[in-house]
Amino acid sequence: MKRWRLSGKRCQNVLFGSSMIKSRIVMKTVRLIGILLLLMGCATEKDKPKYLRWVGDIEADPEIDGEVFQLCFSEARVKQYFNFSQGMQYDGEKAAIVEVFRQDYEAVDVPQSGWIRIRFIVNCKGESGRFRLSASNTQYQAQEFDSRVTDQLLSITQSLNGWKPLPDSKDPRDYYQYLTFKIEDGALKEVLP
Amino acid sequence: MRLFIVLLLLGSTTFLAAQPNCEAYKYFGDELKYKACKAAEKRAGYYQFSRRYQEALDEAIAIDSTFAFAYRAKSTAYLKSGDFLEWKYLMDKAVKFDPTAQLDYRGWCRYQFFRDYQGAIDDIELLDSLVEYDIGHSVNGDYHLHIARALCYKALGKKELAIEIIEGQVQDSTYFVGIYDFLHLGVLYLETEQYDKALTAFARQEQENDLAELHYYRALVHKATSDAEAYQGELRIAKNLYQEGRKMFDPYVEQMDKIFLSTIEKALVAER
Repeated sequence: MKRWRLSGKRCQNVLFGSSMIKSRIVMKTVRLIGILLLLMGCATEKDKPKYLRWVGDIEADPEIDGEVFQLCFSEARVKQYFNFSQGMQYDGEKAAIVEVFRQDYEAVDVPQSGWIRIRFIVNCKGESGRFRLSASNTQYQAQEFDSRVTDQLLSITQSLNGWKPLPDSKDPRDYYQYLTFKIEDGALKEVLP
Repeated sequence: MRLFIVLLLLGSTTFLAAQPNCEAYKYFGDELKYKACKAAEKRAGYYQFSRRYQEALDEAIAIDSTFAFAYRAKSTAYLKSGDFLEWKYLMDKAVKFDPTAQLDYRGWCRYQFFRDYQGAIDDIELLDSLVEYDIGHSVNGDYHLHIARALCYKALGKKELAIEIIEGQVQDSTYFVGIYDFLHLGVLYLETEQYDKALTAFARQEQENDLAELHYYRALVHKATSDAEAYQGELRIAKNLYQEGRKMFDPYVEQMDKIFLSTIEKALVAER
Protein backbone atom coordinates (compact mmCIF):
# COMPACT_ATOMS: atom_id res chain seq x y z
CA MET A 1 0.00 0.00 0.00
CA LYS A 2 1.49 3.35 -1.01
CA ARG A 3 1.63 5.74 1.93
CA TRP A 4 2.27 8.99 0.13
CA ARG A 5 1.35 10.87 3.28
CA LEU A 6 4.61 9.73 4.80
CA SER A 7 6.61 11.67 2.28
CA GLY A 8 7.63 15.31 2.51
CA LYS A 9 6.61 16.93 5.77
CA ARG A 10 6.82 13.85 7.91
CA CYS A 11 10.24 13.04 6.49
CA GLN A 12 11.33 16.50 7.50
CA ASN A 13 9.98 16.09 11.00
CA VAL A 14 11.97 12.94 11.47
CA LEU A 15 15.13 14.43 10.09
CA PHE A 16 14.98 17.90 11.60
CA GLY A 17 12.73 17.49 14.61
CA SER A 18 15.31 17.08 17.39
CA SER A 19 15.57 20.06 19.70
CA MET A 20 18.48 18.48 21.55
CA ILE A 21 20.98 19.42 18.84
CA LYS A 22 22.19 22.85 19.76
CA SER A 23 25.45 23.14 17.94
CA ARG A 24 25.02 25.11 14.75
CA ILE A 25 27.71 23.05 13.06
CA VAL A 26 26.02 19.81 13.96
CA MET A 27 22.68 21.27 12.89
CA LYS A 28 24.01 22.30 9.52
CA THR A 29 25.51 18.87 9.01
CA VAL A 30 22.29 17.18 9.95
CA ARG A 31 20.37 19.45 7.59
CA LEU A 32 22.70 18.72 4.75
CA ILE A 33 22.36 14.99 5.33
CA GLY A 34 18.63 15.45 5.62
CA ILE A 35 18.36 17.31 2.35
CA LEU A 36 20.43 14.65 0.62
CA LEU A 37 18.27 11.89 2.06
CA LEU A 38 15.12 13.73 1.06
CA LEU A 39 16.40 14.14 -2.45
CA MET A 40 17.29 10.45 -2.62
CA GLY A 41 14.37 8.97 -0.71
CA CYS A 42 11.49 11.18 -1.69
CA ALA A 43 12.39 12.02 -5.25
CA THR A 44 10.18 9.33 -6.68
CA GLU A 45 7.26 10.47 -4.51
CA LYS A 46 7.62 14.04 -5.77
CA ASP A 47 6.66 13.06 -9.27
CA LYS A 48 3.52 11.28 -8.19
CA PRO A 49 0.24 13.10 -7.82
CA LYS A 50 -0.97 13.19 -4.24
CA TYR A 51 -4.32 11.79 -5.26
CA LEU A 52 -5.47 9.53 -8.03
CA ARG A 53 -8.98 9.91 -9.40
CA TRP A 54 -10.54 8.52 -6.22
CA VAL A 55 -9.25 7.48 -2.82
CA GLY A 56 -8.38 3.81 -2.95
CA ASP A 57 -7.87 3.63 -6.73
CA ILE A 58 -5.45 0.94 -7.84
CA GLU A 59 -3.25 1.65 -10.83
CA ALA A 60 -2.68 -1.26 -13.16
CA ASP A 61 0.81 -2.76 -12.88
CA PRO A 62 1.51 -5.50 -15.44
CA GLU A 63 4.41 -6.77 -13.34
CA ILE A 64 2.06 -7.50 -10.45
CA ASP A 65 -1.20 -8.07 -12.22
CA GLY A 66 -0.22 -9.81 -15.44
CA GLU A 67 -2.18 -9.17 -18.59
CA VAL A 68 -5.14 -11.46 -18.09
CA PHE A 69 -7.42 -9.26 -16.02
CA GLN A 70 -9.08 -6.47 -17.97
CA LEU A 71 -11.63 -3.83 -17.10
CA CYS A 72 -14.80 -3.76 -19.17
CA PHE A 73 -14.89 0.01 -19.16
CA SER A 74 -12.43 2.83 -18.61
CA GLU A 75 -10.56 3.48 -15.37
CA ALA A 76 -12.72 6.55 -14.86
CA ARG A 77 -15.86 4.46 -14.64
CA VAL A 78 -14.83 1.99 -11.92
CA LYS A 79 -17.24 2.32 -8.98
CA GLN A 80 -17.18 1.17 -5.36
CA TYR A 81 -19.15 -1.93 -4.34
CA PHE A 82 -21.41 0.07 -2.05
CA ASN A 83 -22.31 2.60 -4.75
CA PHE A 84 -25.03 0.18 -5.85
CA SER A 85 -26.66 -0.05 -2.39
CA GLN A 86 -26.79 -3.83 -2.61
CA GLY A 87 -24.01 -4.65 -0.20
CA MET A 88 -21.33 -7.17 -1.04
CA GLN A 89 -22.54 -9.40 -3.87
CA TYR A 90 -21.23 -12.96 -3.96
CA ASP A 91 -22.81 -16.31 -4.84
CA GLY A 92 -24.05 -17.67 -1.54
CA GLU A 93 -23.60 -14.22 0.04
CA LYS A 94 -20.84 -13.42 2.49
CA ALA A 95 -21.47 -16.69 4.31
CA ALA A 96 -19.94 -18.51 1.32
CA ILE A 97 -16.79 -16.38 1.50
CA VAL A 98 -16.40 -16.97 5.22
CA GLU A 99 -16.82 -20.70 4.67
CA VAL A 100 -14.02 -20.75 2.08
CA PHE A 101 -11.63 -19.08 4.51
CA ARG A 102 -12.79 -21.29 7.37
CA GLN A 103 -11.92 -24.35 5.33
CA ASP A 104 -8.78 -23.20 3.57
CA TYR A 105 -6.94 -20.89 5.97
CA GLU A 106 -4.56 -22.61 8.34
CA ALA A 107 -3.66 -20.64 11.46
CA VAL A 108 0.00 -19.71 11.73
CA ASP A 109 1.61 -19.76 15.16
CA VAL A 110 2.99 -16.22 15.22
CA PRO A 111 2.57 -13.47 17.83
CA GLN A 112 1.04 -11.10 15.28
CA SER A 113 -2.40 -9.52 15.51
CA GLY A 114 -4.17 -6.76 13.62
CA TRP A 115 -5.93 -6.24 10.32
CA ILE A 116 -5.05 -7.18 6.78
CA ARG A 117 -6.96 -5.63 3.91
CA ILE A 118 -6.93 -6.98 0.37
CA ARG A 119 -8.45 -4.55 -2.11
CA PHE A 120 -9.18 -5.45 -5.70
CA ILE A 121 -11.43 -4.83 -8.68
CA VAL A 122 -14.33 -6.98 -9.89
CA ASN A 123 -15.06 -6.36 -13.53
CA CYS A 124 -18.43 -6.46 -15.27
CA LYS A 125 -18.02 -10.21 -15.89
CA GLY A 126 -17.45 -10.99 -12.22
CA GLU A 127 -13.72 -11.54 -12.72
CA SER A 128 -11.34 -10.18 -10.07
CA GLY A 129 -7.88 -8.64 -10.38
CA ARG A 130 -5.40 -5.96 -9.26
CA PHE A 131 -5.10 -7.34 -5.74
CA ARG A 132 -3.31 -5.07 -3.26
CA LEU A 133 -2.60 -5.80 0.37
CA SER A 134 -2.09 -3.54 3.38
CA ALA A 135 -1.79 -4.43 7.03
CA SER A 136 -1.64 -2.97 10.50
CA ASN A 137 -1.22 -4.07 14.08
CA THR A 138 -4.01 -3.66 16.63
CA GLN A 139 -2.98 -0.04 17.14
CA TYR A 140 -3.58 0.74 13.45
CA GLN A 141 0.13 1.11 12.80
CA ALA A 142 1.51 -0.38 9.58
CA GLN A 143 2.83 -3.86 10.19
CA GLU A 144 4.26 -6.53 7.94
CA PHE A 145 2.74 -9.90 8.77
CA ASP A 146 4.47 -13.23 8.46
CA SER A 147 4.28 -14.20 4.80
CA ARG A 148 2.64 -17.50 5.75
CA VAL A 149 -0.34 -15.44 6.89
CA THR A 150 -0.50 -12.95 4.03
CA ASP A 151 0.31 -15.45 1.29
CA GLN A 152 -2.56 -17.66 2.34
CA LEU A 153 -5.03 -14.80 2.55
CA LEU A 154 -3.99 -13.42 -0.80
CA SER A 155 -4.10 -16.79 -2.48
CA ILE A 156 -7.54 -17.66 -1.10
CA THR A 157 -8.90 -14.22 -1.99
CA GLN A 158 -7.61 -14.56 -5.54
CA SER A 159 -9.28 -17.96 -5.80
CA LEU A 160 -12.75 -16.62 -4.95
CA ASN A 161 -14.82 -16.99 -8.11
CA GLY A 162 -18.34 -16.12 -7.06
CA TRP A 163 -18.27 -12.35 -7.36
CA LYS A 164 -21.41 -11.04 -9.00
CA PRO A 165 -21.44 -8.23 -11.50
CA LEU A 166 -23.03 -5.08 -10.12
CA PRO A 167 -25.67 -3.88 -10.46
CA ASP A 168 -27.72 -7.09 -10.69
CA SER A 169 -30.17 -6.11 -13.37
CA LYS A 170 -28.56 -4.40 -16.34
CA ASP A 171 -25.48 -2.54 -17.46
CA PRO A 172 -23.02 -4.34 -15.17
CA ARG A 173 -20.05 -2.19 -14.14
CA ASP A 174 -16.52 -2.63 -12.88
CA TYR A 175 -16.20 -2.00 -9.16
CA TYR A 176 -13.77 -1.95 -6.27
CA GLN A 177 -14.23 -4.53 -3.54
CA TYR A 178 -12.15 -5.33 -0.51
CA LEU A 179 -11.92 -7.89 2.26
CA THR A 180 -10.43 -7.17 5.67
CA PHE A 181 -9.18 -9.98 7.86
CA LYS A 182 -8.99 -9.61 11.60
CA ILE A 183 -6.03 -11.65 12.78
CA GLU A 184 -5.22 -12.68 16.36
CA ASP A 185 -1.88 -14.41 16.91
CA GLY A 186 -1.85 -15.68 13.34
CA ALA A 187 -5.40 -17.05 13.53
CA LEU A 188 -8.21 -15.68 11.37
CA LYS A 189 -10.92 -14.34 13.68
CA GLU A 190 -13.22 -12.40 11.38
CA VAL A 191 -13.72 -11.65 7.70
CA LEU A 192 -14.93 -8.09 7.12
CA PRO A 193 -16.68 -5.91 5.99
CA MET B 1 -32.29 37.99 20.32
CA ARG B 2 -28.60 37.65 21.03
CA LEU B 3 -29.25 34.51 23.03
CA PHE B 4 -31.29 33.10 20.17
CA ILE B 5 -28.48 33.72 17.69
CA VAL B 6 -25.92 32.16 20.01
CA LEU B 7 -28.10 29.09 20.52
CA LEU B 8 -28.73 28.81 16.79
CA LEU B 9 -25.05 29.02 15.97
CA LEU B 10 -24.06 26.62 18.72
CA GLY B 11 -26.74 24.20 17.76
CA SER B 12 -25.76 24.12 14.15
CA THR B 13 -22.08 23.55 14.89
CA THR B 14 -21.98 21.39 17.96
CA PHE B 15 -24.67 18.85 17.31
CA LEU B 16 -24.61 18.30 13.60
CA ALA B 17 -22.05 16.09 11.95
CA ALA B 18 -22.48 17.79 8.59
CA GLN B 19 -20.62 20.84 7.36
CA PRO B 20 -20.33 23.30 10.23
CA ASN B 21 -21.86 26.74 9.97
CA CYS B 22 -18.84 28.84 9.07
CA GLU B 23 -20.54 32.03 10.22
CA ALA B 24 -20.53 30.69 13.77
CA TYR B 25 -16.73 30.75 13.83
CA LYS B 26 -16.79 34.31 12.57
CA TYR B 27 -19.39 35.30 15.12
CA PHE B 28 -17.23 33.95 17.93
CA GLY B 29 -14.12 35.66 16.56
CA ASP B 30 -12.26 32.59 15.31
CA GLU B 31 -11.15 34.05 12.00
CA LEU B 32 -8.73 31.23 11.20
CA LYS B 33 -11.34 28.53 11.60
CA TYR B 34 -13.78 30.64 9.62
CA LYS B 35 -11.35 30.73 6.70
CA ALA B 36 -10.66 27.01 7.02
CA CYS B 37 -14.37 26.34 7.11
CA LYS B 38 -14.95 28.39 3.96
CA ALA B 39 -12.16 26.50 2.22
CA ALA B 40 -13.79 23.21 3.23
CA GLU B 41 -17.01 24.36 1.60
CA LYS B 42 -15.28 24.16 -1.78
CA ARG B 43 -15.74 20.38 -1.66
CA ALA B 44 -19.51 20.84 -2.16
CA GLY B 45 -20.75 18.91 -5.15
CA TYR B 46 -17.75 16.60 -5.35
CA TYR B 47 -17.79 12.91 -4.42
CA GLN B 48 -16.07 12.28 -1.09
CA PHE B 49 -13.60 9.90 -2.74
CA SER B 50 -12.59 12.45 -5.35
CA ARG B 51 -9.41 14.47 -5.62
CA ARG B 52 -11.24 17.79 -5.57
CA TYR B 53 -13.09 16.87 -2.40
CA GLN B 54 -9.90 15.82 -0.64
CA GLU B 55 -7.95 18.82 -1.88
CA ALA B 56 -10.54 21.27 -0.55
CA LEU B 57 -10.14 19.71 2.87
CA ASP B 58 -6.35 19.76 2.58
CA GLU B 59 -6.61 23.47 1.91
CA ALA B 60 -8.76 23.86 5.02
CA ILE B 61 -6.22 21.98 7.12
CA ALA B 62 -3.41 24.06 5.68
CA ILE B 63 -5.22 27.18 6.90
CA ASP B 64 -6.01 25.75 10.33
CA SER B 65 -4.33 22.49 11.25
CA THR B 66 -6.65 22.15 14.26
CA PHE B 67 -9.85 22.11 12.21
CA ALA B 68 -11.20 18.74 13.37
CA PHE B 69 -14.10 18.65 10.94
CA ALA B 70 -11.76 18.60 7.94
CA TYR B 71 -9.88 15.56 9.21
CA ARG B 72 -13.11 13.73 9.84
CA ALA B 73 -14.55 14.64 6.44
CA LYS B 74 -11.34 13.44 4.76
CA SER B 75 -11.38 10.19 6.71
CA THR B 76 -14.70 8.90 5.44
CA ALA B 77 -13.48 7.86 2.00
CA TYR B 78 -10.59 5.98 3.57
CA LEU B 79 -12.98 4.26 5.95
CA LYS B 80 -15.27 3.15 3.16
CA SER B 81 -12.35 1.88 1.09
CA GLY B 82 -11.16 -0.17 4.05
CA ASP B 83 -7.97 1.86 4.56
CA PHE B 84 -7.71 1.54 8.32
CA LEU B 85 -4.24 3.12 8.37
CA GLU B 86 -5.15 6.46 6.86
CA TRP B 87 -8.62 6.51 8.40
CA LYS B 88 -7.27 6.09 11.92
CA TYR B 89 -4.51 8.64 11.34
CA LEU B 90 -7.09 11.23 10.28
CA MET B 91 -9.62 10.42 12.98
CA ASP B 92 -6.97 10.56 15.67
CA LYS B 93 -6.29 14.11 14.53
CA ALA B 94 -9.99 14.94 14.57
CA VAL B 95 -10.41 13.53 18.08
CA LYS B 96 -7.31 15.30 19.30
CA PHE B 97 -8.66 18.70 18.28
CA ASP B 98 -12.34 18.17 19.15
CA PRO B 99 -12.87 15.06 21.26
CA THR B 100 -16.46 15.62 22.29
CA ALA B 101 -17.58 16.14 18.69
CA GLN B 102 -15.52 13.33 17.13
CA LEU B 103 -15.31 10.44 19.59
CA ASP B 104 -18.79 9.22 18.65
CA TYR B 105 -17.83 8.75 15.01
CA ARG B 106 -14.44 7.17 15.71
CA GLY B 107 -15.91 4.83 18.29
CA TRP B 108 -18.80 3.75 16.11
CA CYS B 109 -16.63 3.17 13.05
CA ARG B 110 -14.13 1.13 15.04
CA TYR B 111 -17.01 -1.22 15.77
CA GLN B 112 -18.85 -1.06 12.46
CA PHE B 113 -15.96 -1.42 10.04
CA PHE B 114 -13.15 -3.05 11.97
CA ARG B 115 -14.80 -4.97 14.81
CA ASP B 116 -12.34 -3.25 17.12
CA TYR B 117 -14.55 -3.97 20.11
CA GLN B 118 -12.31 -2.70 22.88
CA GLY B 119 -11.35 0.40 20.90
CA ALA B 120 -15.00 1.23 20.31
CA ILE B 121 -15.85 0.73 23.99
CA ASP B 122 -12.97 2.96 25.02
CA ASP B 123 -14.06 5.78 22.70
CA ILE B 124 -17.76 5.60 23.60
CA GLU B 125 -17.10 5.44 27.32
CA LEU B 126 -14.61 8.27 27.12
CA LEU B 127 -17.19 10.38 25.31
CA ASP B 128 -19.80 9.51 27.92
CA SER B 129 -17.44 10.65 30.64
CA LEU B 130 -16.78 13.97 28.92
CA VAL B 131 -20.31 15.16 28.24
CA GLU B 132 -23.46 15.68 30.25
CA TYR B 133 -25.88 15.15 27.37
CA ASP B 134 -27.02 11.95 25.67
CA ILE B 135 -24.12 10.63 23.57
CA GLY B 136 -26.52 9.87 20.73
CA HIS B 137 -26.62 7.48 17.83
CA SER B 138 -24.30 5.93 15.29
CA VAL B 139 -23.72 8.03 12.20
CA ASN B 140 -26.08 5.81 10.18
CA GLY B 141 -28.78 6.20 12.82
CA ASP B 142 -29.31 2.46 13.31
CA TYR B 143 -27.91 2.19 16.82
CA HIS B 144 -27.70 4.23 19.95
CA LEU B 145 -24.05 4.25 20.94
CA HIS B 146 -24.84 2.49 24.22
CA ILE B 147 -26.41 -0.35 22.24
CA ALA B 148 -23.29 -0.49 20.07
CA ARG B 149 -21.19 -0.53 23.25
CA ALA B 150 -23.26 -3.42 24.55
CA LEU B 151 -22.68 -5.39 21.34
CA CYS B 152 -18.95 -4.84 21.75
CA TYR B 153 -19.10 -6.24 25.27
CA LYS B 154 -21.02 -9.21 23.93
CA ALA B 155 -18.31 -9.84 21.34
CA LEU B 156 -15.75 -9.77 24.14
CA GLY B 157 -17.71 -12.44 26.02
CA LYS B 158 -19.40 -10.17 28.56
CA LYS B 159 -22.97 -11.09 27.71
CA GLU B 160 -24.51 -10.28 31.08
CA LEU B 161 -23.07 -6.78 30.95
CA ALA B 162 -24.36 -6.41 27.38
CA ILE B 163 -27.86 -7.40 28.51
CA GLU B 164 -27.69 -4.98 31.41
CA ILE B 165 -26.73 -2.09 29.12
CA ILE B 166 -29.43 -2.81 26.53
CA GLU B 167 -32.11 -3.36 29.17
CA GLY B 168 -31.18 -0.04 30.76
CA GLN B 169 -31.35 1.73 27.43
CA VAL B 170 -34.68 0.37 26.21
CA GLN B 171 -36.30 0.94 29.61
CA ASP B 172 -35.48 4.65 29.45
CA SER B 173 -38.81 6.36 28.83
CA THR B 174 -37.16 9.09 26.78
CA TYR B 175 -35.47 6.63 24.43
CA PHE B 176 -36.69 5.91 20.90
CA VAL B 177 -36.14 2.21 20.28
CA GLY B 178 -33.69 1.38 17.52
CA ILE B 179 -34.55 -0.79 14.54
CA TYR B 180 -32.53 -3.77 15.81
CA ASP B 181 -32.44 -3.24 19.59
CA PHE B 182 -34.86 -5.96 20.65
CA LEU B 183 -33.44 -8.42 18.14
CA HIS B 184 -30.00 -8.14 19.73
CA LEU B 185 -31.49 -8.30 23.21
CA GLY B 186 -33.46 -11.40 22.28
CA VAL B 187 -30.38 -13.10 20.82
CA LEU B 188 -28.48 -12.33 24.02
CA TYR B 189 -31.27 -13.90 26.08
CA LEU B 190 -31.23 -16.91 23.75
CA GLU B 191 -27.48 -17.28 24.13
CA THR B 192 -27.79 -17.13 27.91
CA GLU B 193 -30.67 -19.63 27.89
CA GLN B 194 -33.32 -17.16 29.08
CA TYR B 195 -35.88 -18.40 26.60
CA ASP B 196 -39.03 -16.71 27.92
CA LYS B 197 -37.30 -13.35 27.92
CA ALA B 198 -36.00 -14.05 24.42
CA LEU B 199 -39.51 -14.68 23.13
CA THR B 200 -40.73 -11.47 24.76
CA ALA B 201 -37.92 -9.49 23.16
CA PHE B 202 -38.58 -11.02 19.74
CA ALA B 203 -42.27 -10.17 20.04
CA ARG B 204 -41.31 -6.57 20.72
CA GLN B 205 -38.92 -6.61 17.75
CA GLU B 206 -41.73 -7.94 15.57
CA GLN B 207 -43.81 -4.91 16.54
CA GLU B 208 -41.01 -2.48 15.87
CA ASN B 209 -39.44 -3.99 12.77
CA ASP B 210 -40.30 -7.48 11.54
CA LEU B 211 -37.20 -9.20 10.20
CA ALA B 212 -36.12 -12.62 8.96
CA GLU B 213 -33.53 -12.66 11.71
CA LEU B 214 -36.00 -12.49 14.56
CA HIS B 215 -37.92 -15.50 13.19
CA TYR B 216 -34.71 -17.45 12.72
CA TYR B 217 -33.61 -16.82 16.28
CA ARG B 218 -37.11 -17.41 17.57
CA ALA B 219 -36.92 -20.76 15.79
CA LEU B 220 -33.76 -21.51 17.76
CA VAL B 221 -35.62 -20.78 20.98
CA HIS B 222 -38.28 -23.29 19.94
CA LYS B 223 -35.60 -25.79 19.08
CA ALA B 224 -34.02 -25.35 22.50
CA THR B 225 -37.40 -25.89 24.13
CA SER B 226 -38.13 -28.93 21.92
CA ASP B 227 -41.04 -27.44 19.99
CA ALA B 228 -40.28 -28.91 16.58
CA GLU B 229 -43.44 -27.66 14.88
CA ALA B 230 -42.92 -24.05 15.96
CA TYR B 231 -39.26 -24.34 15.00
CA GLN B 232 -40.08 -25.36 11.43
CA GLY B 233 -42.79 -22.74 11.16
CA GLU B 234 -40.50 -19.91 12.22
CA LEU B 235 -37.78 -21.05 9.83
CA ARG B 236 -40.23 -20.94 6.94
CA ILE B 237 -41.34 -17.44 7.92
CA ALA B 238 -37.69 -16.42 8.19
CA LYS B 239 -37.00 -17.74 4.68
CA ASN B 240 -39.99 -15.94 3.18
CA LEU B 241 -39.09 -12.65 4.82
CA TYR B 242 -35.48 -12.99 3.77
CA GLN B 243 -36.46 -13.54 0.15
CA GLU B 244 -38.73 -10.50 0.35
CA GLY B 245 -35.78 -8.43 1.54
CA ARG B 246 -37.05 -8.05 5.12
CA LYS B 247 -33.66 -8.65 6.71
CA MET B 248 -30.84 -6.78 8.38
CA PHE B 249 -28.99 -4.64 5.90
CA ASP B 250 -26.08 -2.26 5.86
CA PRO B 251 -24.64 -1.30 2.45
CA TYR B 252 -21.09 -1.34 3.81
CA VAL B 253 -20.78 -4.17 6.32
CA GLU B 254 -22.33 -7.30 7.80
CA GLN B 255 -24.04 -6.48 11.09
CA MET B 256 -23.79 -8.55 14.23
CA ASP B 257 -26.48 -11.28 14.43
CA LYS B 258 -27.21 -11.01 10.72
CA ILE B 259 -28.13 -14.28 9.05
CA PHE B 260 -27.94 -15.40 5.43
CA LEU B 261 -30.30 -17.40 3.27
CA SER B 262 -27.97 -20.39 3.48
CA THR B 263 -28.18 -20.22 7.28
CA ILE B 264 -31.94 -20.70 7.16
CA GLU B 265 -31.86 -23.31 4.40
CA LYS B 266 -29.29 -25.42 6.21
CA ALA B 267 -31.48 -25.39 9.31
CA LEU B 268 -34.52 -26.41 7.26
CA VAL B 269 -32.66 -29.24 5.54
CA ALA B 270 -31.21 -30.50 8.81
CA GLU B 271 -34.68 -31.00 10.24
CA ARG B 272 -36.06 -33.02 7.36
